[in-house]
Amino acid sequence: MKNTNNIDELYREKLQNFEKDPPSYLLENILASTAVNKKSRKMVSWRIAGVAAALLLAFVAGWQFNSREQLELKPQTVMTQNPAPKTETETLIQAEAKIARNPSESSNAMVASLPEMDQAKSSKSIKINSISETEPSPPINETSLLKPLDSRFSKIPNETASIKKLHERKTKEVTNDLAERSIDQQIMEQNKQLTVAQNADKQKAHWLVGAQVSPGYNISNSSHSAQYASNMLAAESTHSVDLGAGLTVEYKPGKRWSVQSGVYYSGMAQNSGVSGSQNSKNSFAPGLAADFMNTSVNVDASTNKLSMNSTAGVIELKGIPSQIILGSKLESNSVTPAVFTSDVQFTQNFEYIEIPLCLRYTLIDSRIGVEMMGGFSSNLLVGNETYLQGASGKSLVGSTKDMEPINYSGTMGVGLKYSLSKRLFLNVEPRVKYYLNSLNSNSSVSYKPYSIGVFTGLSYQF
Amino acid sequence: MEDFKPLISECIAGNQKALAELYHHFAPKMFGVCLRYAKDTTEAEDNLQDGFIKVFANLKTFRNDGSLEGWIRRIIINVSLEKIRKQHLMYPVEDVSIYDSVNFSDDVIAKISADDLMKLIQELPPRYRLVFNLYVMEGMSHQEIAKEMSITQGTSKSNLARAREILKRKVHETFGELKAQNNYTA
Repeated sequence: MKNTNNIDELYREKLQNFEKDPPSYLLENILASTAVNKKSRKMVSWRIAGVAAALLLAFVAGWQFNSREQLELKPQTVMTQNPAPKTETETLIQAEAKIARNPSESSNAMVASLPEMDQAKSSKSIKINSISETEPSPPINETSLLKPLDSRFSKIPNETASIKKLHERKTKEVTNDLAERSIDQQIMEQNKQLTVAQNADKQKAHWLVGAQVSPGYNISNSSHSAQYASNMLAAESTHSVDLGAGLTVEYKPGKRWSVQSGVYYSGMAQNSGVSGSQNSKNSFAPGLAADFMNTSVNVDASTNKLSMNSTAGVIELKGIPSQIILGSKLESNSVTPAVFTSDVQFTQNFEYIEIPLCLRYTLIDSRIGVEMMGGFSSNLLVGNETYLQGASGKSLVGSTKDMEPINYSGTMGVGLKYSLSKRLFLNVEPRVKYYLNSLNSNSSVSYKPYSIGVFTGLSYQF
Repeated sequence: MEDFKPLISECIAGNQKALAELYHHFAPKMFGVCLRYAKDTTEAEDNLQDGFIKVFANLKTFRNDGSLEGWIRRIIINVSLEKIRKQHLMYPVEDVSIYDSVNFSDDVIAKISADDLMKLIQELPPRYRLVFNLYVMEGMSHQEIAKEMSITQGTSKSNLARAREILKRKVHETFGELKAQNNYTA
C-alpha cells in the first residue's frame, strides 16, 4: 500500500498545480453570456415593474371608483400600498445563492484548506496496507469536505448490482441503440418542422378581434371668459369615474407593428352644484348661502326655456324643475334677471361613440408581452343629458347647449398582453386620452377634459 | 492572501475589464481542474465556460472572509460533476478485473509530463475518473465519497483500485519503454 500511496502522491504532485491557458475565445463567450444574463435580468425587472404599474393604476382607478363620495384623492394612502414585489430573478438568485452558500462556509473552508491538507498529506508517513483494508487517515476538517458535493451524486445507483447485470444492460443498450437513434431522428425531424411552422406562423399576418371594458377616470380641464365665469355654476368636482366598453379589430402584418381600430362607447359626467365659490353664493339668500347655490339664469320668454352657465357649457332646462326655487327681479333686472336657489346637484352626462385608429408596437413578445400604443380617435356625441339630483331623487331636466357633434382626441398607453392560449389573449392596458378641441363650441367656453382608463379585455387571434 | 475585494466590486458592477482580469487570474488553474474531470479538452473548455459564467453571476454572494480561489474551484468542480451526472456516465464501462496488475518504478511517473498524465486520466471511465479525482486530488476519504455518491465504501475503494490499475497499465503501455530505456542507460 505504501507503493500505492507513493504513486498517489506522485500523481498529486504532478497535477495539483497544473495550469494551462484556455483558448482566448472562451473569455469572449463568458463575457457575452454574462452581459446577456444581466440584460435579461433587467428585462425581467422591467416586466415586473410594468405589471406593478398596471396593477397600481388599476388599484387607483378602482379605489377612486369606490370612493366617489370623497372629493379628494389621498395620494399618500396610495403610495403606502403594496411595496414593489421582489423580482422572480432576485428570488431565484437568492435561492441559488442559498444553495451555494449552505454547503458554504464549510465548502469554502474545504477548498481553501485543500492545499494545506495536501501538504499535510504529503508530509505524513505512508502506511502499507492492502487495497481492501485501506482507509486513508481522515483529512483535516473531514466532514466539511463532504458538504460542497452534497446532492451531486444522489442519482448514482448502488453498485451492489453485479457487473454481469451491467453487461446485460450494456448489451441491451447496444441492441436498442439503433432503434432509439431512428426514433430520435424522427423526433428531431418533427421538432424541426414544428419550429419552422411556428416561425412561419409568427411571420404571418394576423387579425385580432376583441372586447374591452374600462373604468375611465375623467379629469375636467376647462377655461372660460370672465363674463361667462361670473355667472357660472361651480364645478362640484374636477374628476369623475365612468365606465366604457367596446369592440376592437387589430391587423398585425408582422411581428412587432399592428394597426387597431374598433367601436367604443364611453361616458363622461360633469357635476355642478353647491360650491364654496363666492360667485355662486351671493346675497340673494344670505341665510342659505352656506349650503345652497344661487346662480343667475336667463329666461327666454319666447320659448319659455331657462339657461345657466356651467363648466362644460350652457345648460338649457326644459322648464323650472320642481326641486328649485326661481326668484326674478330680486335686485336689478339688468344685472340678474333671475336666480336659482337650491341645494341640488346638476350632472351633465355626455356619451360618445369612439372610433379609434391606433398604431401598436410590441416591446416584448413572450407569454406576458408588453405593447405600446398611440393614435387618434373620432368621438361622435350620441348622448347629451343634464340630470338634477336632489332630495327627491334624480330627474332629467335638460341638456347642454352648443356641444360639438364630433370631437377628436389623442390617446396613448402601455399594456400587458398575457397569452391564455395560442390564440386567446388577456389584455390590461392603461391609457391616457386627451381631447384636442373643446367639446363645446361656445366661444366663451373651452372644455377639454382628459381621461385615464385601464382597458381590460380579451382578444382572439386568427 | 491577495485582496480581491475591489476587483470583485468592479466585477459585480459589470465592469468588463475587471471580469477579464479576474478570469485571467484564475482561468489557467481552473482549466487544469476542468481537464482532470473531463473526458477531453472540448468538455473541459465547456465546463470552464459554464463555471465562470456561474462564478460571475454569483459573485455578489461571495463573502470575502473565505478564499476566492477555493470558492471558484468549488463551483468549477461542481459544474464538472454535474456535467458527468447529466450525461449519465456514472456506470462503469469496462471490467478491469481481468487485467493483470503491472508493476513499474515510481520514476516512470516522475518522468511523464503533466500533459501526458492528464490525457491518461481523461481516458479513465467517468466513474473511475471521478473517484480518482475526489480521493487522490481533492483528498476525500472513501467514507466521504461513498456518502456523496450513494455507494458503499467498498465500491468506492474498488473503483479507486480499478482507476489506479488502469492508469498503471496505461502508463506501462505508453511509457514503459521510458523505464526500460532509463534502466538501460543507467
